[in-house]
Formats: sequence, structure tokens, C-alpha cells
Amino acid sequence: MRMFERSFEKILFTAALLSASITLLIFIFMLVLGLPLFREGLFWDLLSDPWMPQQGLYGIYPMIISTMSIAFLGFLFAFPLSIGVAIFINGLAPGRIGSYVNTAVRLMTGIPTVVYGFVGIFLLIPLMRTILQGGSGMCVLSAALILAVVIAPTMILFFISSFKSVPNAYLRSATALGATPIQKLLYIVVPSSWNGILTGCVLALGRAMGDTMIALMLAGNAVAAPDGIASAARALTAHIALVIAADVNSMAFKSIFACGIVLYVLTAFFTAVLRLTTSRRAAS
Amino acid sequence: MNQCFEKIVIAWCWLSTFLLITAVGVVIGFLVIKGGSALNLKLIFGDTAPLDALLLRRAVFDGLFPAIIGTLLLVLLAILMAAPVGILTGIYMAEYASLSVKKRFGFFFDILAGLPSIVVGLFGLAIVIFLHKYISAHVYPCLFLSAMTLAFLVLPYLIRSTQGALEALPNTIRRTAPALGASRVQNLFLILLPRARDGILNGVILSIGRCAEDTAVIMLTGAVAMAGVPRSVFENYEALPFYIYYISSQYADQQELLSGYAAAIILLCLCGLLFMSALYVNYNFRRGAMNRV
Amino acid sequence: MHTHFKQFVMILTLMSIVALGIVSLTMAGSLASFTGEKGTLKIAGGTAHIPVMKAAAKQIMQAHPDIRISIAGGGSGVGIQQVGEGLVDIGNSGRKPTEKEIAAYGLTLFKWAIDGVGIVINPHNTLTNLSQKQLQAIYAGNVVNWKELGGADHTITVYTRDEASGTRAVFWKKALGKGAITPKANFVVSNGAMKTAVANDPHAIGYVSVGHIDETVAPVALNNVIPSLESVRNGEYPVARGLYSNTREEPTCLTQKFINYLFSKEGQALVAEKGFIPVK
Repeated sequence: MRMFERSFEKILFTAALLSASITLLIFIFMLVLGLPLFREGLFWDLLSDPWMPQQGLYGIYPMIISTMSIAFLGFLFAFPLSIGVAIFINGLAPGRIGSYVNTAVRLMTGIPTVVYGFVGIFLLIPLMRTILQGGSGMCVLSAALILAVVIAPTMILFFISSFKSVPNAYLRSATALGATPIQKLLYIVVPSSWNGILTGCVLALGRAMGDTMIALMLAGNAVAAPDGIASAARALTAHIALVIAADVNSMAFKSIFACGIVLYVLTAFFTAVLRLTTSRRAAS
Repeated sequence: MNQCFEKIVIAWCWLSTFLLITAVGVVIGFLVIKGGSALNLKLIFGDTAPLDALLLRRAVFDGLFPAIIGTLLLVLLAILMAAPVGILTGIYMAEYASLSVKKRFGFFFDILAGLPSIVVGLFGLAIVIFLHKYISAHVYPCLFLSAMTLAFLVLPYLIRSTQGALEALPNTIRRTAPALGASRVQNLFLILLPRARDGILNGVILSIGRCAEDTAVIMLTGAVAMAGVPRSVFENYEALPFYIYYISSQYADQQELLSGYAAAIILLCLCGLLFMSALYVNYNFRRGAMNRV
Repeated sequence: MHTHFKQFVMILTLMSIVALGIVSLTMAGSLASFTGEKGTLKIAGGTAHIPVMKAAAKQIMQAHPDIRISIAGGGSGVGIQQVGEGLVDIGNSGRKPTEKEIAAYGLTLFKWAIDGVGIVINPHNTLTNLSQKQLQAIYAGNVVNWKELGGADHTITVYTRDEASGTRAVFWKKALGKGAITPKANFVVSNGAMKTAVANDPHAIGYVSVGHIDETVAPVALNNVIPSLESVRNGEYPVARGLYSNTREEPTCLTQKFINYLFSKEGQALVAEKGFIPVK
């Protein structure tokens, strides 16, 4: 019996070790396959050069700018929207409407991004083309708008769960003092959940930077860094998808591992920040 | 002054809810309007008789059948690979791990959960290249390797939901059986896991949904434009999300475009169904948990 | 006249080089030759080839259910590289593989069609002709508005292909005279995608395989020569290229039979049906 216990525990530990090592392996593979970049000291060049393979420049600087632009713009659209919906669901909605909207939002998180991209191409892009009066309609703005709809549901759910964790005592005392629902929400719930809101924002931003299909299908994929939200842009994730077709041994291909490394480091950074803020919240 | 501010906020909340619901409604409605008419057997089976196609007697051309089968096979394989490892890891994290191990491993799993899917796909491709160069020249991007990469993608979801489900069990239940002399493993299998079953199931269903919808990973590891139904897991295959992406940029005629809309509807329904069942399971889990306490 | 003769000699030379690379053509390439074959055939590469590949695969697979053919795109660069690495059996390319590539991978070339690369614009655009200088200016990003060319007052949306594309390589070398392509151009991943993009964008300009041109896009004459099957066939239109299927060393049974099928009467009929110029 004891033997079984011990061997079972070993099996469990092996499984856990396997899972954890995958995360590390991913990073190691990227490093190994991108090794030539480091050896020739090219990595830092890659981060600042433009992408011009015919001149031998394999820099991903424009892609970094594009990823940041699309992600931040998308976040900028999504944040006020999400706060609004979260407050609505958490107290402002009359009767059962709040829970219906809640269910709807939860279902929304399951909509595939490729479907959003597909509709975006055939519905939003022609619209953008007429509104912007220039360009193909595929630009940072189009991608950011759809991206906002993609990341909003996750943000909303996160905000709601942090709203719910505000101690009931606060709310009851506020009601005793004659506060209306909106007053309670605005002056008590939201400020107390600030940590949770921040966490939700960081999560959403990370998600926005990592999205592939929306950026690939809707942002135009031009190699130059965008000089405005109406220009076409190529995100790091889209760049990987596009260049993967190139020669496996060439520098172009190796440069996508640089993209992979940049994305990995960004994710690790965001995760670390998240863990620090949540542990601080748990401690307080 | 404050009154005014509050009114503006209220208005904004209603407006934003309306905006979001409308946006998603427009997306779904657009698909249904444009593609609803194309949803018929010919779309799925092309010119081949449905029975022949289903029994794999004849190949289907110009139809969605291979893509649907490809997606289903992919999901099945990926979950088969990921579920055991993920659930066992979750059990370990919830029941056996020391605090420092929990923190360290937890950090890794969080990173894995946050990685862009294209980076995981890139990893999958790197594995294929590595195996192809150093192990055997017969290794190609295929269904098996795609499923394996998808398994990496959904592993964190399974771990998190299992760990969460187990950790949510109240301490009273956790301590009862051992107090009566049960061993740790007995406690786990007879008491804890059955009660956490719904939470774990929730995680599995969510992972299924994630596997079904992902495009970036399969794009790099074996999905192609035309391949028919794969006869072995080591062959190329078609998949719904890849088909949608492919059609969106290069449809040859209106018929193909319509099939793209229809494929999007089918994928949406598939994910919607999975999600609703996950919600249902979750709802039961919550209700059960309340009753138990 | 002098240039036309040159083009004719060039095409003739190309065809003789390919004839040297062909192994056995004369065996029956028809469907009957596939009887008894089973197994998988993997094809990848040039996107211009895809319609013909799909049609041929459909014919073969319907007649012989034991054979399985999978087709992927990716562009000519991908085709050459993947067949060289042994990842696929047939790598399609819309340009002739370079000497370096042939030597590095030990490629055997098969050219089964001739195609051109034509400039296309949206049918709503009334432009009909561009000189090479104008084309270069547009693609370099120096001319940015259609009104500078006598058209509507609207910015030009430039579309281009990725580096792995044979279509792009041919366009860049022969139509653009190796001129610059602006980094602000929108990228599309295949001939089909280029056609879709230009068909949907009223102010677009792009380049696409002549075989892909249909009524959804409008071809633009280059130096007063309209890209069409006729002008490519008789050499008038200079931006022409062969459609190649490449294999590594000598092709094996199933691969060889597929290649033969492409050169057979049925195969070449498919080529013509899909809008290319058969070599036979």
C-alpha cells in the first residue's frame, strides 16, 4: 500500500515536471535555433533594424512597434468598454438582465478569433476604406477595433470577479448611509478592486500582444513601421506566420526565432508582474 | 456636480453594454445572413454521396467534410495527450506540492498559459525540424505533431482547472477521511476527485474548445489547403479554422466564399455548443458545492 | 521586333533545358497508369499551380481511392526548399530554380505550363496602360495618387507578395526591372489572395499570374502590351515564366506518374482549362 502511495506520488511529480519543463523547453528551443543570431552579435541589431531582406536586414523593429500600437490601441478601446459592462452587470442592471448579459459575455469568450477576423475582412475593412478615404482599409485601427471586442469579455469577467470580492460589510454600511447603487459601485467597489482591475488590464494587454489571427488578417502586413493608426502594419505574431514559409536555413527564417524570443520574454515579464501584484493583494 | 458625474457613468455603462452586445450580434448576424443559405449537404460533402463519405468509401472534394473530420480528430488526439498529464499535474499542485514548488511551477504554468499561440506553434515546428534533421527524415508536419503542439497549448488550462477545483473543496471534507484512517491516495480517489469532477470536466471542455478554434498552431504544423480525410495520424490534414483563414484571403469564386461563411458558422456553433456545456457543468458544480457545505 | 525574337529564343532555350531534365515522358501519363498504386503524394509550393494541382489530384483520387494527394501552398521558395529538404515529394515553383538551388538540393525540373505575370487593378479603375517607368514609380512609392496618372483623386494602394513568391521574383525582375518596392505596400500570401485583395479594393494595384486573371480584376497593359494568354504565348508580353514541378533527384513511382499525368493529354487539357499555356 505504501509502495503504491509512493509510486503514485512519483507519477504525479513526473507529470508536473513534464509540464513545467515544456515551458522551459520552448524557451530553450528558441534560443538554440536563434543561436546564430547571438553568435554574430546580431540580436540587438535585429531589435532595431527594419525588415529589408534584399539588403540583408532582418530587423524586427517595425514589427515591435506595430504589435505595441495595435495592442495598446485595442486596449484603449476595450478598457472603458469593459469597466462599463462590468459595472452594469455587477449592480446597475435591473432584475435578471445582469445575469443574462453575464452569460452572454461568458459565451463571447468562446468565439474563435479567426471568425472575428473573417467577419472583419468582409464587414469592417470595406467600411474602414470608405471612412479613411485612403489605403486598403487594413490598418492598425481596424485590427485594434476588432481586438478590443476580442479581449473585452475576458477583462469584463475578471473585473466582475474582483468586484465580487469586495467585502459585503462595506456595501452594507454604504446602503445604511443611503447610498444609491451607482454611488456604491463608483465610490466603493471600483476603488477597492483596483488591484484586481490592474491585474485584468495586464492580462488583457498580454493577450492583445499575443494575438495572431486578428493582426494577420486585418492589419495589412506592410513591412514598414506604421506612421499612424491608418497605416498598414505587421505585428510580431503575424510576422512569424508570414515568414515561416521562407527557407529554413536562411537568416530570414532564423529571425523569426528572434520574434519568438521577444514574445516569450514579454510574456514572462507580464506574468512576473501579475504574480507580484496578486501576491501583494493576497498579502494585504 | 457629483450627481452629474454619476449620471454620465450610468449612461456610459448602458451604452457600453449595448455597444458590446451589438458588436457581437452584428458579427454573428452577418455570418448567418451571408452564409446561412449555403448550409446544406452539398457544402459539406461536395459531389460525393453523404453515406459514402461518412463511411470513408469515397473521398470528398470541394466540401467541408475533410476539414470537419480533421478538426474532430485533432481535438480528440490533443485532449488524449493533454488530459492525463494536465490532470495529474493539477492533482500534484493541489495536493502534494510544497509551497516553494507550487510557486515555481505555478510561475511556469502561468507563462505557458500566457504565451501567444503562434509561439507555441513555432515550438511545434521547431520540434518537427529537429526530429526531421536528427532523428528520421520521415518526420513531417502531420496530425500527430499538430495535436501534440495543441496539447502543449491547452495544458495550462487543464492544470489550472484541476488545481482550482481541488483547492476549492472545503477543508472539512478534505480532513474527514484521513481522520478515519484512509490513506492519502484513498482520500484522493474516493472523496476529493469525485467532488472535483465537475470542475475538472469544465477544464476539459474549455480545452476542447480551445483546440477546435486555434489556427496559429495548426497553420505551422500540418494543416494544408487540400488533403482529404487523413488515413493515419502521420499525414497532412485539413481543419475548419485553417480553412476559414485560407478562404478569407484567397477564395476562387463566390461558391468558395459562401463555403467560408458556412464554415465559420459551423465552427461558431461547435465552439458555442462546447462552451454552453462547459457553463452547464460549471453551474452544476457550483450548485453541488453549495449543497455540500 | 528585336526584343520579341529575343523572348522567343529565351523561351526556346528554357524549354530545351527542361527537356534535358525530363526523365521519361513518353509513357502513358493517363489515369490508367495509376492503377495498382497506393500511397501518399505530398505537394507544396507555388500558389499559381494550385488550381491545376487540385484538378489533377481530384481526377486521380476519384479514379483511384487508394492514392492520397495533399496540396499546400506557400510560394515558390517554400516549394523548392521543402522538396529539397525531403519534406514533400513535389515542390512547385513559378520561377526556375537557381543554379545554386539545383546544385544544393539535386533538383530535377519539370516545366508543364507557361504563364505570365500581369499587373492588375480593380475593374472600377479606368486605367488601361502603364509604362515601365510609371510602374516603377508607383511601386517605389513615388507616385501615390491615381490622379497623377489621369485617374480619380485617391491614394494608390499597392499590394505585393512575400519574398518566397516566384510570381514576385518574376515581376520584380522583368516588369519592375529590379526596382524598389515600397515598404508600405500591403502583403498578400498567394496569387489567389492577390486577386481577392485587388478585386475588393477599388484603388488597388497588384500583380498576379495571368492564368488567374478573370473578370473580377482588370489587367493593365505594360508598355501597351496587354497581359493575356495570347501575348504570353507569342512572346509579345515579356513578363513570362514557366510553371515548374521540381523533385529531388529522380522521382519515384507515384511522383513520376503524377508528373507524367501533368504532361499527358488530359493533364495538359487541365492546364489549358485553368488558364495557362500548355507546353505541349
